[in-house]
Amino acid sequence: GKVPASSILASAPSDKNLDTWRESGCRTTHCNLEVLQESTLVFLATKPHILPGVLQEIRPAVGPHHIIVSLAAGVTLQTLQRLLPARTKVLRLMPNLPCVVQAGAMVFARGSGAGEGEAALLKSLLSSCGLCEEVPESYINIHTGLSGSGVAYVYLFAEALAEGAVKMGMPGGLASRIAAQTLLGAAKMMLETGEHPAKLRGDVCTPGGTTIHALHQLEKGALRATVMNAVEAATNRACDVAED
Amino acid sequence: AGVLAAHKITASSPDTDLPTVSGLRKMGVNFTVSNKDTVKSSDVLFLAVKPPIIPFILEEVGPDIEARHIVVSCAAGVTISSIEKKLSTFCPTPKVIRCMTNTPVIVREGATVYATGTHADVEDGRLLEQLMASVGFCTEVEEDLIDAVTGLSGSGPAYAFTALDALADGGVKMGLPRRLAVRLGAQALLGAAKMLLESEQHPGQLKDNVCSPGGATIHALHFLESGGFRSLLINAVEASCIRTRELQHLADQEKISPAAIKKTLLDKVKLESPSLSVASASKVSLFTNKS
Repeated sequence: GKVPASSILASAPSDKNLDTWRESGCRTTHCNLEVLQESTLVFLATKPHILPGVLQEIRPAVGPHHIIVSLAAGVTLQTLQRLLPARTKVLRLMPNLPCVVQAGAMVFARGSGAGEGEAALLKSLLSSCGLCEEVPESYINIHTGLSGSGVAYVYLFAEALAEGAVKMGMPGGLASRIAAQTLLGAAKMMLETGEHPAKLRGDVCTPGGTTIHALHQLEKGALRATVMNAVEAATNRACDVAED
Repeated sequence: AGVLAAHKITASSPDTDLPTVSGLRKMGVNFTVSNKDTVKSSDVLFLAVKPPIIPFILEEVGPDIEARHIVVSCAAGVTISSIEKKLSTFCPTPKVIRCMTNTPVIVREGATVYATGTHADVEDGRLLEQLMASVGFCTEVEEDLIDAVTGLSGSGPAYAFTALDALADGGVKMGLPRRLAVRLGAQALLGAAKMLLESEQHPGQLKDNVCSPGGATIHALHFLESGGFRSLLINAVEASCIRTRELQHLADQEKISPAAIKKTLLDKVKLESPSLSVASASKVSLFTNKS
């Protein structure tokens, strides 16, 4: 809600992707160059292998007033800067899926041409979609492993929670909704109290009660190590893919 | 440990050859081989015998127990009610306190809990607490928690010794001389424990404080997690607690026969004139069951 829809111009080669933009009241075009001519802040949201071609295409129209933000996974600031005019203000952004419900987790890194003003602008715009933090570029792959892919880990966990409940006799639909709300509530408490998750966990565990019995099962299954392995695997994969 | 003068303490053991006996004598503690005499001259009686021997000790000293006596049992798995039941044939309102301590009392860093029996007053509990607080941490608990305490801090030093042995092995593997490895490992655990006790922070937070991003410690912790380190510790505490309950259950059913106890120990009660002892002495009975 920070920018009026009429100020947004979206470009794509076909109409297939443009309908949603039009429905929100944005203007659309099939011409990338037009976007550069009409806009200051430009988001590049193509697939990684397409991006170099697009950069070549728009390069003549890129000026010192432009702020170019790339969302392409694995395309480094170095690559972006190489394919654009020198001293172009370039930033690299890594969002995650829940941005679509304004509960995203995004990190961005600045290229050498981008200053604090650009960072502040981006942060202020994107905060309406969730958490947005500036980071060194080296954290971006870690963010992928933690939060980009991380969303899938949570879906898996939620599914398993619900299945446990179904096993114990609860209908699936209800179990699923409660599982989701449990995750949402727990996450909200973490964010709002700022307390260490270990402390919050302890607060839920009455001595000899249900929770500590359940946690023991999770520890027996080495859940912590498995989750660490997952984050590591996704991060490493992001690094590998980036090098290709 | 400075709370009670040695001459106010009387110790009793039938077997005078034990190293503990000479140790006590050197401290200036009064010594006797007569449990009965110790009871007569003391107000607080510590029964520090193995659990199967407790019934026999109680039978022996029962007739001399008076209302003023505070009977403190450190025997694992022996309930207050079983002691009270045994003593009630001799004394209508016996004061019983059950406690569970651990070996580091030797270095005044013990962990002790106690539960007061039916007829023990608040002041009796306080007295015990004052005595045991001189050798470490001491607090009152409900009796039904004592098994859990056994699992945690009773057996706990053994878990720590095992961990320290292994940590030292790790140090040696990576090139440290054994003595240094042991010294450093022990100091690391001591320091960590001290930090936790003096901090308001959760151990999870203290752990985080040591883990710089991508650093050595987090790599090591990942190994611990992969090995199920946490669940192993939970399992250990649980197993020790459950076993304590089992043993207590067995004891309640008096499944351990008198024959299992060396006859010589029971016979070795000689009447000797006791050394001078003053009120508010504590008695320590030492039997070792060599079988």
